[in-house]
Amino acid sequence: MSLAAFTTSEPLTLGVELELQLVSTHDYDLSPQAQDLLRELERHPGAWDVKPEITRSMIEIGTSIQRQHASLLAELTDLRQQLSRAARKLNIGIAGGGTHAYQHWSDQQIYPTERFHYISELYGYLAKQFTVFGQHVHVGCENGDTALWLLHALSRYVPHFIALSASSPFVQGVDTGFDSARLNSVFAFPLSGRAPFVQSWDEFGQYFDKMTSTGVVQSMKDFYWDIRPKPEFGTIELRVCDTPLSVTKAAALACYLQSICRYLREEKPFEPSEDDYLVYTFNRFQACRFGLEGEIVDPKTKQRHKLRDDILRTLARVDEHALDLQALEACNLVRESLIEGNDAHWLRTQRKGGVPLSAVVEAATRRWMG
Amino acid sequence: MTALDTWLAPAPGSAAPLWTLEGLRGADPALGFALVMLVAVVLAELLHRKLRAPRMLGHMITGALASPLALRLLDRTDLDPWKPVIDLAIGVLVFELGSRIRPRWLIDNPWLAFTCVLEGLLAGLCVAAALVSLGAPVHSAWVAAAAAMSTSPVITLVLVHEVRSRGQVTERLLIMTAINSALSMLALKTWHVMATAGTISLDHELLPVVTDALVVVGGSFVLGVAAGWLLAKLTQPLREAATAPVLQIALVILAAMLAAQWKLSPLLALLAAGMTARSRMGHTLTVEPQLGSAGAVLTVLLFIALGMLFTLDGIGALWPWVLAIVGARLAGKGIAVAVLARLSALGWRQAAALTLALQPMSSLAILLAANTFAWGTQLPGITPGMLQALLIATTLLHLVGPVVTQWSLRRLAGECPPAVAKER
Repeated sequence: MSLAAFTTSEPLTLGVELELQLVSTHDYDLSPQAQDLLRELERHPGAWDVKPEITRSMIEIGTSIQRQHASLLAELTDLRQQLSRAARKLNIGIAGGGTHAYQHWSDQQIYPTERFHYISELYGYLAKQFTVFGQHVHVGCENGDTALWLLHALSRYVPHFIALSASSPFVQGVDTGFDSARLNSVFAFPLSGRAPFVQSWDEFGQYFDKMTSTGVVQSMKDFYWDIRPKPEFGTIELRVCDTPLSVTKAAALACYLQSICRYLREEKPFEPSEDDYLVYTFNRFQACRFGLEGEIVDPKTKQRHKLRDDILRTLARVDEHALDLQALEACNLVRESLIEGNDAHWLRTQRKGGVPLSAVVEAATRRWMG
Repeated sequence: MTALDTWLAPAPGSAAPLWTLEGLRGADPALGFALVMLVAVVLAELLHRKLRAPRMLGHMITGALASPLALRLLDRTDLDPWKPVIDLAIGVLVFELGSRIRPRWLIDNPWLAFTCVLEGLLAGLCVAAALVSLGAPVHSAWVAAAAAMSTSPVITLVLVHEVRSRGQVTERLLIMTAINSALSMLALKTWHVMATAGTISLDHELLPVVTDALVVVGGSFVLGVAAGWLLAKLTQPLREAATAPVLQIALVILAAMLAAQWKLSPLLALLAAGMTARSRMGHTLTVEPQLGSAGAVLTVLLFIALGMLFTLDGIGALWPWVLAIVGARLAGKGIAVAVLARLSALGWRQAAALTLALQPMSSLAILLAANTFAWGTQLPGITPGMLQALLIATTLLHLVGPVVTQWSLRRLAGECPPAVAKER
């Protein structure tokens, strides 16, 4: 199978996908009721999309193509309201968060589709351990070359999105010490991490052909990279974010990314290089482990900065572009969250005083459903 | 004489040694029960491993084998001294069922609330109509109909624990079991009041009947709320995980005894206590499934007792009534669930699974207020033939019901996690 041609799309348009947790209102553990919810939402009037994910306690929602923060937030809010109404009818809860705090992976059931069964067969227990929940943001690009340039230029901002969205401190009933433990599950997959440093769509096609000829991959879906091109949509897809605890945060993160992309495209402050990736995994680890308190190394200057300060500086640089994109409100929300702390911090605050984890999940459910 | 000789000596009142059938029959009922429990656990495990049958089936079959129905090792009256213990087992399960129910769901999904009431009423109406059309006495038909409305909370909850099912059918099964058991209890209470007042017909004094029904419902509810509130209050200062089950057992006994003493419904009171405790205590209320290992002993004892109450006497003559009860009940519940399935957000396959899962009929839970296991005193006005037909129907549904419920939850609804053993 050869690589699909890169579909042209309007630059800087956005699409947001959120993987969500379905929980029982009795014990707030994951509940395998995706089919029930999908059946109830079959004839929803929105332009958004809702579909199954690998296990039966997850669903994925996707917005229509959006240009501005206000309309993106309006669609996400409508989506949340309709989903919540259907969930209440079925007595289930819907929550954000990158991991469920105490679900047991072996209890999860694979959603009955051909692809999910194929993944389950191929990856074994990893597939069930992949019951983690992320936010994916698509950014439109006019051609494959621009998409790859933007993909590599964005690599140094990946820790920003990990730290800002981090909402997975608890796994299998314990505090992992990580702000985003979800990405540790993604690491276990053989084709995860960073994309190879190729800069043109033709070169990328050659790489793809080599990989398919080995039989290791069959389609672009088999790459679990942090950022990957999506030729059929004409986008690049940022996949490092945990699903935030609210749609407001999800919209803010998407528009912060949109603003950075415009800044990079318009000002071209640096040319991406292979050496950018020397510190990539270190920076990524710092963001996962310590969140906004992490320290990252600048690949060009080799200097260390607090991640929080780096985000503040970036916000100052992109403000002008955010203004033009009408995304200033989103950037201000990001700025506020640097003071308030990320969702991992909020979850840990809920846990204070020995509150049971089920109560923490209930609080997260109330926050998402409103 | 050694201790072993003492144990193996002929039982008092019997010349036969203990290891013979005759010797066992003459043995102390407590020793008999211990031996029956031993056999029950082994048989249940064998049936579970070989046929994947629910364990409760093995326990009930053992009870039936020990009963006058087969080997006559124990007499049904031997059960009466054990009634407080068995009541406690039922009480604990009903309390847990109450704590699993979220009344808010009925407001969020009014079609579900409608289904809960309709499936109970329609099952009762269908049974009454079928029995009357077969020439059964009208009064007896209505009593049988009232009893046939219910699903066994005991079988439902224990089975849900055993197969670890989670999902829409499981949740609806639990809430419907609670509601149809309450409806059935209410119908029987009303009937009891009417019958003891000597007014079998509704043409006579309606007011005392309605007042009594309201007193039973209101009183039981208030008692349950008070018990749940007390549990929440007492748990707060103690905060010790080990004391939680002790407090729960104490409150269950207290609420059930007071309800029985005041001629209220222990079933309703315990359901309300469970709901109140859950709403006031939230996540701090941890109801161990069947109250942990000690509770598991109670549950085995309970199912042995259920098995001992099995009867098939007179099935040759009564089979048309038995068939009418089982068939009409299935039809009534099935029609109600199917008609409102899509409106209440349920798929067709799930509706079929739910209908089948609702089949195990309740018996002991209704007797929670009685002093003995004699059904007759609880159902005045019922003819002996109809009572026997009802008991045979209950026996059949207790034998087949758990297997059908397990199959529906596992295969039809697909709500059970894959067995760990199978994955190994």
